[in-house]
Amino acid sequence: MRQGILFIILLLLLPIAVAIQDLLPAIPPFQARILLLPVVFCFGVMALPLVPALFFALATALVQGLVLLQIQSGEAELGLTVPVVFFLLWAIALQMTSEATQGMRWEVHALGSAVVTLTLLSVEFLMLCVRRGGFPLEMLVLQRILIPSVTSLLIAPLLYFALCNLVPVFNEESHPVQKPNFSR
Amino acid sequence: MKKLQIASLVVLAVLAIAVCLLESGTLTRLQSGLLGVISPISRSGSAVKSSIDSLGKDLLSLDQLQTEYERVLSENRKLRAENNGLRDLQQDNDHLRQVLGYRERSSFRLVPALVLGHDAGVWWNTIKINRGSADGIAPDMPVITDKGLVGKISVVSSNLSEVLLVTDENCKVAAKVEGTKEQGISAGSRDPVGELRLTFLSKLADLQPGQKVYTAGVSGGIFPSGIALGTVKSFHARELDGEAILEPAADFGMLEEVFIVTGAK
Repeated sequence: MRQGILFIILLLLLPIAVAIQDLLPAIPPFQARILLLPVVFCFGVMALPLVPALFFALATALVQGLVLLQIQSGEAELGLTVPVVFFLLWAIALQMTSEATQGMRWEVHALGSAVVTLTLLSVEFLMLCVRRGGFPLEMLVLQRILIPSVTSLLIAPLLYFALCNLVPVFNEESHPVQKPNFSR
Repeated sequence: MKKLQIASLVVLAVLAIAVCLLESGTLTRLQSGLLGVISPISRSGSAVKSSIDSLGKDLLSLDQLQTEYERVLSENRKLRAENNGLRDLQQDNDHLRQVLGYRERSSFRLVPALVLGHDAGVWWNTIKINRGSADGIAPDMPVITDKGLVGKISVVSSNLSEVLLVTDENCKVAAKVEGTKEQGISAGSRDPVGELRLTFLSKLADLQPGQKVYTAGVSGGIFPSGIALGTVKSFHARELDGEAILEPAADFGMLEEVFIVTGAK
């Protein structure tokens, strides 16, 4: 029951993250965007047990796929297959990482958010190159991939600290949460 | 592994396959639904953002307010004087139109909309606006500003819509170059520099920087003729055609208010 409430809270965070990331201004001078969805996704799949985490990954894939959906001549340009496979694979990988580190760690979440953002943008770019042809791999393109990834790395701890108290309250079966300790 | 977990994984697999096999019509409806879900957050977030933005602007000193008041007063006098002159001109114009049997040139019916935010998608250029099907907005309606063409409506929910900008690679516009017979197809580019590429021009087209480009308004197209699209920055001949690089007429960095063309008057 309590696990279900955590799952619903995380599901509600997905459209909220989409709405907020649209409102945030682009980062000058390269007009790179701040992506919150991968950060929420990483937190969700690390906080939940395996099966709910996979359902959460599917929900994230659906939201991300619909956000980027472009219908061209009655056909979806990218479709949802790539996001579904992408987020399910990352959910399994992050669950395994949580097992290996014996619980949720804020460092792993931050690093995971950055790597998920980096790979997500790279996969989208490659898919567009396959679909539309051409491969304009220029410095601006690399900056548009790297800057949001670095931003995810920096934003992830903020979300982690804001939400990590929810996990033990709602989810007694999840991985133990390791709070940061700066008093070394 | 517990039986419940295995059953859940089977359900997940079926759901994942079902999601992957969704048709474009269903996807469009789902996308509209998602826009409907995020609409209240986007609208209230945009209102908060505007309030914060205007807070700094509103905090003026008394001296600044006095100067601003004097400037507005002087501008008001000037506009009133101009208005009086224009009223006379309007009367003359109406009289001449009547005499010549001039038919008033049809103009567009416009619905004003506020830009709620630029979409965070890195490879697609879209914005969200605060008008939807409840305001009579439908997919493929052109969106403009006083400067020129902005794009077209791509997704509509009841009170929020998504606009595909002309700077997107997928937004293709038939265009003509001012002062020539050259026509081509304009589209954005994937490398995110915000320029437009006007292709399918004649290889021998002698386009000069600064020449204006307008929508051509082809039959069956969605953009009416004569809307400013951009200005020629450069031209080069390719193997089979000519290509011009355009600076868009609309300033996409400063978009706050746009107009949706819902039809002709």
